[in-house]
Amino acid sequence: MKKLLLLTVLALVVTVGSASAAYKVGVLSDLTGPTSSVGTPYAEGIKAYVSWLNENGGIGGEPIELIQVDYAYNVQQALAAYKRFTSSGIVAMQGWGTGDTEALVKFVAKDKIPVFSASYSAHLMDPQKAPYNFTAAADYSTMGRAGLNYLRETWKEARAPKLAFIFPDNPYGTAPIAAMKEYAKELGFEIVGQENVDLKAIDATPQLLSLKKAEPDFVWTGGTTPSTAVIMKDAQKLGMTCTFFSNIWSSDENIFKLAGDAANGHFGLQGAAIYGQPSPGMDLIRKLTKDEHQMTHYVRGFVSAMVMCEGMKMAKAAGEVTGESIKAALETMRDFDPMGLAPAISYFPDDHRPNLSVNVCTFKDGKLVFVKTAILERKKEWLGL
Amino acid sequence: MSMHKCGLFYTTYAREDGLFPSKFQKTCLALFLAAMLACPQFLDSYAVSVLNLILIAVIGAVSLNLLTGVCGQMSLGHGAFVGVGAYGAAIFSNMGAPFFLALLGGGAVAAMVGMVFGIPSLRLKGIYLAISTLAAQLILEYVFLHASSLTGGANGLPVDPPEILGFAFDTDARIFYLILAVAALCVLAVTNVTRTRHGRAFVAIRDYHQSAENVGVNLFAYKLQAFGLSSFLAGIAGGLWAHYTMYITPEQFSMGLSISYLAMIIIGGMGSVIGSIFGAIFITLLPELLNLLISALGGFAPDLSAIIVPMKEGVFGLMLVLFLIFEPEGLARKWRLTKAYWKLYPFAY
Repeated sequence: MKKLLLLTVLALVVTVGSASAAYKVGVLSDLTGPTSSVGTPYAEGIKAYVSWLNENGGIGGEPIELIQVDYAYNVQQALAAYKRFTSSGIVAMQGWGTGDTEALVKFVAKDKIPVFSASYSAHLMDPQKAPYNFTAAADYSTMGRAGLNYLRETWKEARAPKLAFIFPDNPYGTAPIAAMKEYAKELGFEIVGQENVDLKAIDATPQLLSLKKAEPDFVWTGGTTPSTAVIMKDAQKLGMTCTFFSNIWSSDENIFKLAGDAANGHFGLQGAAIYGQPSPGMDLIRKLTKDEHQMTHYVRGFVSAMVMCEGMKMAKAAGEVTGESIKAALETMRDFDPMGLAPAISYFPDDHRPNLSVNVCTFKDGKLVFVKTAILERKKEWLGL
Repeated sequence: MSMHKCGLFYTTYAREDGLFPSKFQKTCLALFLAAMLACPQFLDSYAVSVLNLILIAVIGAVSLNLLTGVCGQMSLGHGAFVGVGAYGAAIFSNMGAPFFLALLGGGAVAAMVGMVFGIPSLRLKGIYLAISTLAAQLILEYVFLHASSLTGGANGLPVDPPEILGFAFDTDARIFYLILAVAALCVLAVTNVTRTRHGRAFVAIRDYHQSAENVGVNLFAYKLQAFGLSSFLAGIAGGLWAHYTMYITPEQFSMGLSISYLAMIIIGGMGSVIGSIFGAIFITLLPELLNLLISALGGFAPDLSAIIVPMKEGVFGLMLVLFLIFEPEGLARKWRLTKAYWKLYPFAY
């Protein structure tokens, strides 16, 4: 017990002792919890960009000090971590999941701390509801709509394409479904069914059997990479010929480890470039990572940090760097190109959707391959839905 | 030379039954409360927020302890009952009800829901009851997510910070006093319940249900009361949580929350109120201390902290296992032993 006490005191002394004049930014990461397999590369991306920036001028000469806390996807711990950030004087924060981002919406609005999260719920894009929340990729609903748009454009047959949905019955899974159904009808899809497959499922045969009868051409899978892999494998086993398209968290480079060749030919929607996809930013990442392959989540973390730092630079150019001035600066950002690593980003005072674009990717021979950036018009009525 | 009694001697049964039999205990409690009240003046908002989380966890743990530790009814749905209280209080509050009314309303809704899910307890015991309360957890999570018109569904429900007579409790320090007062009341209430006829009936049911029935304890009525009271307090904890975070979503009241409440009462010591408090403190502080340790190590040994981070969950689990093996009666027993040691110090004979 005494030792524990001693360690705590030691820890406090060290954390207090490391204070400096740098701009402090909190990084809330899941390194040990249920989403750690994607949370870790995302956090690595954030850290890589910031340490590169610190070596290359920082924010107008001032470095950024990152304070990273692992909250293991636990809302209580996220709240405590956030308080730790604010009492050490952060000006901005890099957040992570849906649960914690939403639990903090009102806190960050009150404390005026801009947050870049990796939770792309549509209602976080509405500044009236979440004034200090930003994201570096389009929301789940927009991604889904853009994916549908791409599928409709490439559909060659005369009949209406048949569409079905598979998603886990949780807040993250259900978020984009209503918006996608509405837009699918508008585009002339025929909706033939929907099923729930849990994130921890090890078998999706019953759900797929009932979908098989409806013979869908396209099936939306919103879940995680492991749950999507289960669906793809079982679909192959049942001899289904439909094409799956999955959202930003439902498929990544790991799909081949889990689903093997069952993944071939299906689509995945991403918010940032795939490692190796040529662009000035990718040259930098390749240099920083010494050509060691990184997941696309790493690239998205990199972009998220880059956009935040751009906002900080703009705030610095206009005067003092505070949470409030960073928010104001970000809202004047127009078509910022994150070194070609993601579609161009703009924020408006009444609209925090970064863009309405999504990178359509496909799975081919063990590789995630970029196909096309699908871009939608910025429609007012879609904001927050 | 004045003479002192060496020990506690009572002349009435009422005195012996008192909550704090000695002056020393009363002084200690008063000092402790004074220290708690002074806390926000000296601590930063991080430390105060951790205290807030601990106090909310204390209410949750003490209420689960009443049901599981005192009455012996296993519950895996406690997190969901906390959620019912949170949503109830948030909805009442958003309808314009004053804070305390909303809090009590949330507690009342949670009590009703808890009693409904407590009905199977007449027929089911032990692991079977655990599974039926697990069903409560899953059903309630489904309701939180799908009753969108009430709960906001996946988008969650915003709540305003509590306001009493025009005074807004909108900072950590302010709401700390509010939570502290409610938590103290809840702990006092549970302590007192265990000393009443009801409390003794709960213990009788836990120890052997047939004997309890033989001496005239109406099993069903008392089990339902245990479920109702426990869920009511859980609902109060939820209401405080909702008003503290100002935003609730279904994810906050998952299975994990139920498990962590169980862990609190197991580590603290089943059936002991002070044990539940220790358990709540321990389970809430452990991840914070591990995080502080890791960030401290990161300062001068980044490689080491990179190894320790993935081990964090393991450390947490290991702590639980070690506790079960070496201190099966929990922190409450450790506390008793420590007190006994100091009572006779330095002459332990």
